[in-house]
Amino acid sequence: MGSQYGLIFNLERCIGCEACTVACKIENNFITDTIQVKTLNTINKDTPTGSFLQGNLRMEFQPHTCNHCEDPPCVEACSFNALIQRDDGIVVLNQDNCTGCQTCVTACPYGAIHFNKDSNIAEKCNLCSHRIDQGLEPFCVICCEGQAIYFGDWNTPQGKFAVKDRKDELYVRNPEFNTKPKIKYLPLKKPRGL
Amino acid sequence: MTEQSGIIKVRTTCPMHCGIEACGWLVSVNKKTGRAIKIEPGEFMDPSERRICLRGLSQLDYTYHPDRIKTPLKRVGRRGEGKFESISWEEALDIIEKNFKEIAEKYGWRALGWVLGGVGAGSTKFGVYLRLASLTKSTRVSAWGYGDSGLPCGSRIIFGSQIPYGQLMHRLIDPPDPDLIVVWGCNPGEAAPLRWFRPIMDIKERSGTKMVTIDPRFTVTASKSDAYLGLRPGTDTALALSLLNIIFKNGYQKNDYIRKYTNGPYLVRLDTKKFLRGKDISDSKSKADRYVIIDHEKNEPKILRGSTKSAALTGIYTVNGIECKTALQLLMDLADELPPEKGSEITGVSAELITKLAHAIGKAKTTTFCINMGFTRTYHGHTSLRAMGTIAAITGNVRAEVGKGRNFPVLNWDPFLKAKPDERSYHRLGILNMYDAIEKGDPFPIKAVWFALTNFVNQCANSGKIVNTLFNNLDFIVTVDTFLTDTCKWSDLVLPTTSILEFSDFIPHPYPYVCIQQKVIEPLYESKSDVNIASAVAERLGFGEYFQGGEDGMIDLLLDTDHLSMDGITRESIIANGCFQLLNPIPESMETMPFPMRTPSKKIEIYSDFDYLIEAGEELPYYKAALDSPIKNIAEGFPLTFIQGHTRFRTHSMFGNVDSLLKMNPEPLLDMHPRDAEDRGLKNNDMVVMYNGLGNAILKLRVNEGIVPGTVNLSEGWWLKDFKDGGVNFVTHDIVNPVQDKIYEPNMSMNSAFVEVKKYKEEI
Repeated sequence: MGSQYGLIFNLERCIGCEACTVACKIENNFITDTIQVKTLNTINKDTPTGSFLQGNLRMEFQPHTCNHCEDPPCVEACSFNALIQRDDGIVVLNQDNCTGCQTCVTACPYGAIHFNKDSNIAEKCNLCSHRIDQGLEPFCVICCEGQAIYFGDWNTPQGKFAVKDRKDELYVRNPEFNTKPKIKYLPLKKPRGL
Repeated sequence: MTEQSGIIKVRTTCPMHCGIEACGWLVSVNKKTGRAIKIEPGEFMDPSERRICLRGLSQLDYTYHPDRIKTPLKRVGRRGEGKFESISWEEALDIIEKNFKEIAEKYGWRALGWVLGGVGAGSTKFGVYLRLASLTKSTRVSAWGYGDSGLPCGSRIIFGSQIPYGQLMHRLIDPPDPDLIVVWGCNPGEAAPLRWFRPIMDIKERSGTKMVTIDPRFTVTASKSDAYLGLRPGTDTALALSLLNIIFKNGYQKNDYIRKYTNGPYLVRLDTKKFLRGKDISDSKSKADRYVIIDHEKNEPKILRGSTKSAALTGIYTVNGIECKTALQLLMDLADELPPEKGSEITGVSAELITKLAHAIGKAKTTTFCINMGFTRTYHGHTSLRAMGTIAAITGNVRAEVGKGRNFPVLNWDPFLKAKPDERSYHRLGILNMYDAIEKGDPFPIKAVWFALTNFVNQCANSGKIVNTLFNNLDFIVTVDTFLTDTCKWSDLVLPTTSILEFSDFIPHPYPYVCIQQKVIEPLYESKSDVNIASAVAERLGFGEYFQGGEDGMIDLLLDTDHLSMDGITRESIIANGCFQLLNPIPESMETMPFPMRTPSKKIEIYSDFDYLIEAGEELPYYKAALDSPIKNIAEGFPLTFIQGHTRFRTHSMFGNVDSLLKMNPEPLLDMHPRDAEDRGLKNNDMVVMYNGLGNAILKLRVNEGIVPGTVNLSEGWWLKDFKDGGVNFVTHDIVNPVQDKIYEPNMSMNSAFVEVKKYKEEI
């Protein structure tokens, strides 16, 4: 059985710092934010939901990036072979083949492909396939301040990626899109009170 | 250093002034062009220690920023106008030499102040200016009062230490894990994520430890907590006393610990509030200064000599006709006055939550109190620290003995602090004391200032007073910086210094390591490191011989110590080991040493009888409102408390001009609770004016449920360019707390500012 690589974002440990956003751009020479850290359920970044006076404030961060879907609509949409799905499951955008038609940008239901207006080509997370091929982890993983990003192989999950105690809580964003994402999330734990 | 296909990789250390995380970096340099091209996290011994932050990752944007100052600059316009001409280093040194000598002749050397800001994790870049101050017998202006001296003022009273991290937070590093973590008035999730918040998250994950956050803002730290107590700024002491109230009522205090490690059992005279001493009850000269306890078995007074095992902890006694209570009794009486309902009225935290937290602390086997400067940046901040520390002490959660571990580095600072081996030769002023020194010549006049490692105009209290009054009284202003900050714009001479990739330094962090910050690339343009700038000035003043060897020479000097903590550790050995090296272990024989409490009693002082504290009514941590101070005179009509949280997008004002970070955080935002916004007819994203009698700041409003009503927050460090008018510190005051002045040095109470906010209407 081959590898099927993916990431787990442990939102219990995500501090919303956006080091991943910066790291991704540096590693890949991107201009767009190919990882975007959202503060859930609020219009203002870094602010909580709920009510101060009622004592039910909550704030949860959720990094968004390419989901490396098992059934990737972007690969199907691209007529120029710029987007391919590797045998190890990584959906790679080869910028040399990109014509800037932006069909993939529209095709991705997650909005994970971004258009670089300066270079007129698309940009997206390639899971640092160039690093994985050298036996290294994706750059965002080693730069994550909260150590909240786990890299691994869904076929043989090991170490933190095996999520021994919280396996049932793993979820993907918008499963109704039916693209079978390989980027999964562990939610922020509920406060236990005093 | 490793080499591969035209790329050199250099391991270095980040010296930035964040939480002093001292991250390791691996920097790739193109061998041909000499240009640094990538920064990635560098290794320590364990891969879990590998770390970098978003600012560290953005360092190349800082180093290669187009706005770097490229040559020395001489002012040609009015001060503040920002007009300069490029000059050579020789000309710059001529100007410095001439002005220094003229001012020294007219006012004496002490009229020259070296205003040295945050040294960060570094050492010699700061040390060389101290050395210059020592040699010239001029004035070192201390940076603690920038907002960081409230904590040491309080810590010095209760623990006798500058910073009580070792006393309070050792369980974040050393096992076993605590049962409860109370994060009090700080936000490590954003301000110290790597060295402090990671261990907190690890402990939560590993041991299921509960975590509580006390903060006026619902921060990222609060969002990871099991409970959040959103208190009003500056009311920490009231909260602490209410917690103590319940702790005492339920008998949660650890009596044996209090007896052994605190001055709780010592008798205090009710007439003078001083400790009862041997001389009060005995003629024996040798016992004159000793404390007195009540032997609870015999129920009679005993002049203390060694063990307090038999000491009564509570009660009122008449000894030799003098009415006395134990210090602990006095504390209990004080706590008795603040039941949780009363504490709730003051703090805004519900009595129920206060009660629950007190029970949680009381029942926990061990509690770690995680603290930093935030809650002590209030007018009575030193008292807040004492009150919080008192809870930790009463519940036995202050480290009282040295466990296994490694020595903290003890360095050879003498050559920097003293011109001659037996003589401390610079004068010292707290930064907040410098305001009066410049304006009124009190305690002596300062006529020339050298700013280094600081953006004074941006970061210090009462910016309006700085530019309108203080600078007018200065004959000569020099600023050393990498960018033309607002402080530079008011200077007569601006000197370009290097970014952190362009010089070497010794980094006495991160425990349990020491590190070297290696020069990765040559200085850009005509910039020079602080060490080389100080050396050049020294040469002109006839002290060149003291600065031999440049950066490496200064590092070697600092490491030239026979203290066992540094035995065998040299610049060469650290570099050979990969730029970091483990500190020497504490010898086996020292494992049961008491943790040093450098207080008069050598114990944790839950009660202090320094005369100036008694005079001020502060022998115990009494709660005083921020407005119970001269601030009252300038606060009328300004009902909102203004506080300044710290942001991950800057290290104070550093990185405030870096585009990659500004993109994620483009403009200053004023946080206000929806109720306060509604009262003022304000909406999210409105442009507003925050103002008081001192000045204003015009910026965008962020309506935010995550802040206690009655308080507004704006992150510190925004540059003046980012405001339509004014800035962060145009609304903060420079009122000195005289008690802090006596303990150590007064703090800028940035989080005890009072403002009003209204909609901004553009004038046509």
